[in-house]
Amino acid sequence: MLTYCRRCVMPDTKPDLSLDEVGICNACRSYEKRKEVDWDFRYNELIRLLDKYRQPVGSNWDCIVPVSGGKDSTYQVVRILQLGLNPLCVTSTTCDLTPLGRSNIENLKRLGVDYVEITPNPIIRAKLNRLGLTQVGDISWPEHVGIFTIPVRAAVQFNVPLIVWGENSQDEYGGPAAAAENNVLTRRWLEEFGGLLGMRVSDLMGHAGIEKKHLINYIYPTDEELSRIGVTGLFLGHYIAWDGLSNALIAQANGFKTYEKAVEGSIVNYENLDNHQTGIHDYFKFLKFGFGRASDLACLHIRRGRLTRRDGLEAVRRLDGRFPWEYLGKSLEEILRPLEMTVDEFIRVCDKFTNKKIFIRDSSGAFKKDRDGNLTKINYDNS
Amino acid sequence: MKVGVIDYGVGNLGSVARALEEVGATPIRVDRSVDLHQVETMVLPGVGSFLQCKKILDQDGWSQAIRDEVDEYCKPLLGICLGMQLLADWGEEGLENGAQTPGLGFVPGRVVSLRKLGCAARLPHVGWNSISPRLENYLLKGVPKGTDFYFVHSYGFLLQSERECVATTQYGVEIAAVVNHGRVWGTQFHPEKSSRAGLKVLNNFVWGPEC
Amino acid sequence: MLKVRVIPTLLWRSFGLVKGVGFDSWRRVGSVLPAIKVYNQRDVDELVLVDIDAHRSVKPPDYETFGEFGSECFVPLTIGGGIRCVEQVGFFLRNGADKVSVNTAAYDNPKLISEIAKLYGTQCVVASVDVRGTDGDGRWICFSEAGKRDTGRDVVSWVRELEGRGAGEILITSIERDGTMQGYDLDLVAAVSAAVSIPVIASGGAGNYQHMIDAVQQAGASSVAAASMFHFTEQTPAEAKKSMATVGIPVRQSFNN
Repeated sequence: MLTYCRRCVMPDTKPDLSLDEVGICNACRSYEKRKEVDWDFRYNELIRLLDKYRQPVGSNWDCIVPVSGGKDSTYQVVRILQLGLNPLCVTSTTCDLTPLGRSNIENLKRLGVDYVEITPNPIIRAKLNRLGLTQVGDISWPEHVGIFTIPVRAAVQFNVPLIVWGENSQDEYGGPAAAAENNVLTRRWLEEFGGLLGMRVSDLMGHAGIEKKHLINYIYPTDEELSRIGVTGLFLGHYIAWDGLSNALIAQANGFKTYEKAVEGSIVNYENLDNHQTGIHDYFKFLKFGFGRASDLACLHIRRGRLTRRDGLEAVRRLDGRFPWEYLGKSLEEILRPLEMTVDEFIRVCDKFTNKKIFIRDSSGAFKKDRDGNLTKINYDNS
Repeated sequence: MKVGVIDYGVGNLGSVARALEEVGATPIRVDRSVDLHQVETMVLPGVGSFLQCKKILDQDGWSQAIRDEVDEYCKPLLGICLGMQLLADWGEEGLENGAQTPGLGFVPGRVVSLRKLGCAARLPHVGWNSISPRLENYLLKGVPKGTDFYFVHSYGFLLQSERECVATTQYGVEIAAVVNHGRVWGTQFHPEKSSRAGLKVLNNFVWGPEC
Repeated sequence: MLKVRVIPTLLWRSFGLVKGVGFDSWRRVGSVLPAIKVYNQRDVDELVLVDIDAHRSVKPPDYETFGEFGSECFVPLTIGGGIRCVEQVGFFLRNGADKVSVNTAAYDNPKLISEIAKLYGTQCVVASVDVRGTDGDGRWICFSEAGKRDTGRDVVSWVRELEGRGAGEILITSIERDGTMQGYDLDLVAAVSAAVSIPVIASGGAGNYQHMIDAVQQAGASSVAAASMFHFTEQTPAEAKKSMATVGIPVRQSFNN
């Protein structure tokens, strides 16, 4: 049986999530603590820190802001400009950029910032997507490496020591306590919490014709390079209370566009809009751990008092972990084409990564699926 | 390429089948000797004792079926660990006082205990050990001298002729690690448990000299 | 010559992999299959997969799931957790395990070790021993049930008994060092290595390559196990072996082709 947090709807199968003696998860507990945080103090701390990094006018950028074209990126840029900084925005292009994502990137530039986009070799990227999907059950593995590595490489290359990241994923989702109090992004943080699943870039050389020369964008700078520039990465979410919906509102007020309806497998229309492969990524999380994007979002809103647990459970049961036949209007077949993978092959990979203890199977041991290939969990709430 | 993994009821075939899949072959578990004809090439695994395995191979018609496929239809065969030892003319494991069981007789020689071969080290010989090629052979194409493979065994293949000894390993004494006679190969190590080096050997076996 | 092995340990609990500190504060670190596939790519020499709750369970082990993990694993795999009888060992060996590790049941029924060795060979039996140090007198006491139960056994006499009964290897874990990444308990590893002539796998505390070198060179370990170091840092088994090779430790060379 899956055990769910009694306050939100997250099952305890989520990596780094734990339930306390009364059945409340550490993400909810971590959120409670937020109310005790002295945000004014943190804000002043931020100002003090940023002042240290402000460059003499016109000599160089004050900071790197890693951006994707999503609501959080737009929000980050708005905030950074409010704080009077002159940022260089850096995008690591997503694996399968959507038209909506592209238009939001264009909008972000027009907020008035310098911008560079680094697009790793798409042929190699597709091979890495395939390896990620078949080896660790995560199509987005190369994207995660890219978004955490390319801005750091840019910091070294452009000689800009400060990187302003958005949220520390450990803050909201409740990770080991030490990490939740972390306010800087280091290589160690990346390996431990960056969602790389223990696979290293060096593991990939020699596979599917991938050579060292193809992986330059994915190689983290050396300690020597980092210390020469003095690269420091801080999380904005540590200093200014982070809330996705509020970010989305601010972003929309600044020209950010949302999807016409709730995104497939999700319950909202304002996030994960920039990559057609995200549906597959979220579906595999569901197969491995029994929760998908709908669960993630329901939890965020339940914690903030915008959704009841009962309504959250209902939405999760209906929408979470639906087989990703399409995402943001693109069909699964189309999405898989660059990976040289058919839908049948995809389904076999899915079955391999599906956690047998979480989903109902028939007497022959095969997973029970409805007409659309959707699975059923053994339980959707505690008892 | 349809590769028949001979499933005669001993040992775990899961890794062998998965490893073959990994090198691009289509592994087929063949559990009736009459079905052996449907595959293009064959792998013979083996766990337990020479005597016991040979008994099953004889009783269930495997010995004859394998011989037919190799001799009449020119299909390649790879024996792994005990499966390699079964390729010999004779084996003494499972019997007392030097008595011997006839093997499949594809590779001239007999199988004796490593002690008898003069090995004074601890038995079984288990772990990663390096091999030295003795003959040019496409099974070891791209596998340099000194490459490590995973061994678990207490008996060794005493070849009648050096001409069949493709590679050896050292464990107190020199042991045949890879043997070959015509279209029949044997590895004393477990390629399916020897990481990428093992996959390379399986790849060579499945795809032949052109690979 | 046989090689010194680098062995990641994977701890399995109900739905996926966990890693703790001091056999406590368990963190979920992901699912099993991706970990096995990653380690396949990574030149590890063996894998150890232990179901840490199995000793408490009355149900038989989940052979089907273990079988799937076993067939994905292209290096030797040791499976452990809750093994109580030789029949279970037979199931595991038929379902993808190359060896089994026995811990709790060995204290209650030491004959189990000899029965497995007799039926399947000593090379199949990894005796896993978890210990805590005692204050002051430089001894270590063995704990069973995933570190919960004090057995009162002194480690040196216990590993000797295990060897005598047919264990093929000893996996020695310091509960206090587990998950700390502060280095192995070298005195412990040295004491165990001196007590037996079978291979000893050092476990508990590995945090960097030097710790592994020390376990081999200073404490006589024939293999080194690690979990947190590989789960949580950028260090890899292949790099570990490279470091060990530079100081003359015989390790399996990386094969890239």
